[in-house]
Amino acid sequence: MLKPATVSSYLKGVTQVVGNQLNVGKQVAVLPAKQVSFTVPSPLGLSKSLPNGNVTITCALGTPSQVRWAHTDITVPDWTEYRKDSVKSPNVRSSESEESRKNFAYLMAGTLGVGSAYAAKSLVTQFVSSMSASADVLALAKIEIKLADIPEGKSVTFKWRGKPLFVRHRTQAEIQTEQNTPSSSLETLNMIASVLKTQNGCVPISNAGDFGGYYCPCHGSHYDASGRIRKGPAPLNLEVPEYSFPSDGLLIVG
Amino acid sequence: MALSSTLYNSIFKRTSTFALACVACAFFFERTFDLGVDTLFNKINEGKLWRDIKPSEEQ
Repeated sequence: MLKPATVSSYLKGVTQVVGNQLNVGKQVAVLPAKQVSFTVPSPLGLSKSLPNGNVTITCALGTPSQVRWAHTDITVPDWTEYRKDSVKSPNVRSSESEESRKNFAYLMAGTLGVGSAYAAKSLVTQFVSSMSASADVLALAKIEIKLADIPEGKSVTFKWRGKPLFVRHRTQAEIQTEQNTPSSSLETLNMIASVLKTQNGCVPISNAGDFGGYYCPCHGSHYDASGRIRKGPAPLNLEVPEYSFPSDGLLIVG
Repeated sequence: MALSSTLYNSIFKRTSTFALACVACAFFFERTFDLGVDTLFNKINEGKLWRDIKPSEEQ
């Protein structure tokens, strides 16, 4: 075991003994703090007292098997290479450049976040749009109607995407009546009226009901000639699908 | 210095504003990035695109 005499005060561990608080019958004497003074040896004296040369370590029962060095010979690694320029100088407070360094780190993280958000959005859009009907399916799901075949004041029923589609050629009087009826979703369209009963898949009867439009026999809902709900339990108007008039007298729904 | 401290205190300090800023930037980034990539694609494939060969194919 190594015991350099002059440095023993540096290498000693300190043990504190705390008195048992349960033993209340005895008075604990408080001793005055003892002033321990020691002289700092000169570097030469320190180097003489420290072990050098061949050091042998004994290992036996009852002897400590650990050798503690004074750690004075270990050089601290130089991290200058890894430091930012703003914290290289030991004479400059690092708090002065704190915000710019933080900003840099957050900006990097933010750029990554923006990229990830863009990638995630693209991915989700791709997957979701793959579920919708493709263009060729949509092209087949259209219906072409010659408007000249429908006489004025009559409603013709077509089957479109498995549902009934009513195309009504309204008379001028009907249009006037509808336009005079204020509504938040007033249809200004002359020809096309409506498709699809909004409840339960019941098919409304055309040219029936209190308002001269459509009447649903299942629940007794009255619609007018624009397909708006006027009376009865139906919560919504008849749905008007997407439509276009590519040429005069031709209607494409879908 | 004032700009960087304003930036840090107003955006980067709180996670909520940081995430919000990320989403807002992603919105604009998406528009510009998509537009840029499409322009690049059209430039590289100049002459092969349908809009370039359409007159000769439709005659």
